[in-house]
Amino acid sequence: KPCAPAPLCVLVDSREICSGAEVISSLKAVHGVKVQVCSLSSDYIVSSRLAVERRFLSEFLSPASRNKLAQRIQRLWSMFERICVIVEKDKAKPGETSRFLQRTHNYDATLAALVRAGVRILFSSGQGETAALLKDLALVELRKNAAIRGPTEVEEHKRDLLGFYLSIPNLSHLAALNMCRAFGSIREMANSSPQDLAAGAQLSQHAAAEIHRYLHYGFEAQLLPESPRVPGGS
Amino acid sequence: PVTAGSIVVPFGHVIGNEKWRGSEIAQKLQGKVRLVFEDGLGLVDFHLSNRTCILYISEADLVAGDEFKRRLVRFRNASSLGGIVIVERTQISDQYFLAVQKLVVLELGMVLLPVANQGEASQLITQLVSFYVREQSKEQSSNPFLRKQRSQLAEPAVFRTVQQIPGVGKTKALLLLQQFGSIHRICNASVKELEPVVGQAVAQQIHSF
Repeated sequence: KPCAPAPLCVLVDSREICSGAEVISSLKAVHGVKVQVCSLSSDYIVSSRLAVERRFLSEFLSPASRNKLAQRIQRLWSMFERICVIVEKDKAKPGETSRFLQRTHNYDATLAALVRAGVRILFSSGQGETAALLKDLALVELRKNAAIRGPTEVEEHKRDLLGFYLSIPNLSHLAALNMCRAFGSIREMANSSPQDLAAGAQLSQHAAAEIHRYLHYGFEAQLLPESPRVPGGS
Repeated sequence: PVTAGSIVVPFGHVIGNEKWRGSEIAQKLQGKVRLVFEDGLGLVDFHLSNRTCILYISEADLVAGDEFKRRLVRFRNASSLGGIVIVERTQISDQYFLAVQKLVVLELGMVLLPVANQGEASQLITQLVSFYVREQSKEQSSNPFLRKQRSQLAEPAVFRTVQQIPGVGKTKALLLLQQFGSIHRICNASVKELEPVVGQAVAQQIHSF
């Protein structure tokens, strides 16, 4: 079948501009991947269902950063069907010849826990390799028909709309972008069936059903944690 | 013949392929887990549970050529067990690592964990086994990376979402929700219905958003 070879696309969290500059430049220059920088809850989004976290090997050696990673991953599970962690070797600091990191009990325990939780793990020796792995992941997702499709920029007049969709719980930035494109107005979105929501936002049936329920949820003002005062109300 | 079928692994035990008897890995596992050797495990090196097993790729396997790849593919085709591939990543075998990772994780969808030597492998296996033991015992939720089912009240989120409509702040959001009850009904309200609640200008804005 004929298909125009659209470039692979990856969404990158804006914090990665500082910490992963070489990942981003190599994605663009070496692999020809289209990179869209936005504010994400994961480091990378490579498909409609896969989020990727990039972590330094040194972070796995102590328990403190493990808790931080665990919190992050739990949050990502509410938005994504699949999660991958790329364990990247730390850069040698100037003056250091090579960093030898002693494998710790905590490192093995963290790996075991990630494996048991169904989180995919990839190992990288540096930012260049991490970029190649991200491209490979995006390619596999393309083959599984889950690649990021269509433009990822938001027109100026749709910024407010994006903000509206982003406020829906457990909706990823990519799903919100897809919704901006798929629905002409919030009325059209709100009147969509769970099936239409799933198709429009490129979400699983389960996630789409959750959104459908959210849109129809009967609001009770007394259940707000701090009840705002109603001006002129009784 | 290819043997990659399931096998009953008692709690806290590891069933090892006979060929590992007397190896460094076996010696270091003993005392930490209950290691039993069996003949005829075929492609599998160690069974950690009824559902999970380990295929071990040594530095020598990597250097020797593609035989280990055929073994992995045969395992993947023959077995529904979760396969964890442990690979010896050393100075000598490092050059092969990326290709192996691509095959195991991206093509075959299995788990790959690098170790420097058999000693590290035994530590890793011990951790994996202790995880199964903990999971089976009462600490079901001991894994911090697992998906948690949280049921939270939707009110605060719904309140925030409505405030994302241009021209609508806290006060108007609350009035809208009290009047119409749900996001769905606010979206479907006519300008005429919205006007008494938020005024003419904002009613227009909501209607055309």
